[in-house]
Amino acid sequence: MDSMQTLISSITIAKPWGIDIPNYFWFTGSSAAAFIISSFAHVFGWKKYKPIAGISLLMAFVLLVAAPLNLIDDLRQPGRILNFFLYGWENFPTSPMKWGVLLLLAYPILIFFEAQALYRPYFVRKAKKSGFLGKIFYTVMTFGRTDLSPEALARDHRLGFVLGAIGIPLALAVHGYTGYILGAVHANVMWHTPLMPIIFLASAMVSGTGLLILLIPFFQRFLSDRHKVDTDMVATLATLLAWFIVADLVMRFLWLTFSLTFADGEKYALYSYFRLHFMDTLLIDYLLCLFIPLIIGFTRLKHIPVVVYFGGLVTAVGVWIFRWNTVIGGQTIPRTTPGFLRYLPPVTGQDSIVSMLANWGVLIALICLVLLIFPWDEEMIDCYKGAEHGQQ
Amino acid sequence: MGKENSRRSFLKTGLASTGLALLASSKANAFSLKNPGRDARDARYIGQKGKHFVMVLDLRKCIGCQACTSVCKVENQVPSGQYRTFVTETEVGVFPQVRKAFLPQLCNHCENPACVPVCPTGATFKREDGIVVVDNTVCWGCGYCISACPYDKRYFNKKTKTADKCNFCAQRVDKGLMPACVETCIGGARVFGDINDKHSEVARLLANFPTTVLKKAQGTRPQVFYINLDNRVTELFDTTQDLDDMVKAEQGFEREWMKVREEAINNG
Ligand code: SF4
Ligand code: SF4
Repeated sequence: MDSMQTLISSITIAKPWGIDIPNYFWFTGSSAAAFIISSFAHVFGWKKYKPIAGISLLMAFVLLVAAPLNLIDDLRQPGRILNFFLYGWENFPTSPMKWGVLLLLAYPILIFFEAQALYRPYFVRKAKKSGFLGKIFYTVMTFGRTDLSPEALARDHRLGFVLGAIGIPLALAVHGYTGYILGAVHANVMWHTPLMPIIFLASAMVSGTGLLILLIPFFQRFLSDRHKVDTDMVATLATLLAWFIVADLVMRFLWLTFSLTFADGEKYALYSYFRLHFMDTLLIDYLLCLFIPLIIGFTRLKHIPVVVYFGGLVTAVGVWIFRWNTVIGGQTIPRTTPGFLRYLPPVTGQDSIVSMLANWGVLIALICLVLLIFPWDEEMIDCYKGAEHGQQ
Repeated sequence: MGKENSRRSFLKTGLASTGLALLASSKANAFSLKNPGRDARDARYIGQKGKHFVMVLDLRKCIGCQACTSVCKVENQVPSGQYRTFVTETEVGVFPQVRKAFLPQLCNHCENPACVPVCPTGATFKREDGIVVVDNTVCWGCGYCISACPYDKRYFNKKTKTADKCNFCAQRVDKGLMPACVETCIGGARVFGDINDKHSEVARLLANFPTTVLKKAQGTRPQVFYINLDNRVTELFDTTQDLDDMVKAEQGFEREWMKVREEAINNG
């Protein structure tokens, strides 16, 4: 040993982003995925996905309405939100955060209008059947267009198509920008890769599909008049999930091979990070949460719903852990003082476990609300009927 | 002049001033590429035109006394447990050839700062004299700049709940004083001044000594220059292993220690 350095004392700062941020990324990602899956039917016209397109769209909407609350909770001065809109526009080209908030505003509005176009005929019928208050409410939801002629329906359809088509890049952007937020930070070895937006998108498709695999059968079995789960659909989603996992694995493979093998001196920090977390990353993130659902989706296991639900659950959880490992793990890598930093989220207060759970509570409340307002059930049953007629 | 008249004029001035105040406040709230302070060309936001402030840290003279660390906390009312500047203390070499090495660290007031372009509110910016500052009345506390600084020189101030960092004591510099840390530095290791002034001490030091900056590869072009910076000290930055664990795992220190103790006991 020709030299030895020993640190006697040093100080480093506390990192700014806590548990809210991985949670936020997970929400927007899953929303983007649900939107893309709904577009399979609305834009690409894939009949197979038609029955779940409406409910997926609604899930995309609620996830994205709940997501920004994480950001507000993360702000140290949430009362100054206006400053974001008023000042600092010269940083627009270089601050992905600036793009994000605009996307976060535009995207839910677009989904809402698309859902309105999809459900308008049902609102019209409901308005006719309901009592006084219901009539007013549903008439408002039709935006005054009560025409049910084939031309009017075709117009709805076209509008849905156009909004869906605009929505696809918007959905990709609303999640892709979060990858930019991290990727733009060249000070962080783990984040700084141009692949980050694509890695985030790929894993978002995985978590969103996983979430739908859990939610849709639940809605069909317990909340719909149909009372039974469409097991074919479950199998279809399982295979779709498996393909998304393939894409995700390819992205992560590219990322890790380059940043661990071919990168410059900073790769050593990543080495030691992954050495420290080797077992949990490999076993939990890859083996349990990606490879097992991959096998389920590509084998006959996909026809056993319970197994698929398990696959959906572990991928959804696994991607959440991946978001955590990226955001929090990336921040634990030190910059000017030796040794990894540690972070444990506080139990209560701002940016805490309780605030994250509260956000989930808001999500569940919103899900209940849209399920009550939008006639998703009737539309879904109609789609199934249509599909059966089509086969005859 | 009758009573009537004076009342009218009072009303008039009142109305006019209210109108003006409204106009001004609506103007302050209008959309801005930058932020209200910069738009108003407030001297605190513009800085001293034509000057470019830098700091030179002559490590040959630093004795690690942390006087700068403490005076900074007092001058800038930095909350307890938080620091704008501090001195890292290390030991380099192998016994008996060991020496202490100190590394005073502060915001580098980068020429190409990583923290400024990511700020979504325009709260943080570079003054025309090179000092990078945060307007804590505008910052909404998103922490993006804190994540972006490669030197970890920003933090959330517990009191103001906004991003905070060294501002070269701009409040003092604008009055012609030196930053508090420079003023208090016992060894004279901290030198501050305008690099555009060829007769300043910083210009002289930079002209006569080889200097280096931290993390050059980040491309931020730091404006805090070090004389006699030992590479071995900055190498410590890349030591990512948990130090305790590293010592225990890789060198088996604990076992060694037990062995030595046992031997000592056995040997009486
Ligand atoms: S050292 Fe960090 S905080 Fe200071 S100007 Fe450079 S990037 Fe910004
Ligand atoms: S924490 Fe404040 S100064 Fe930093 S980027 Fe956010 S708004 Fe700007």
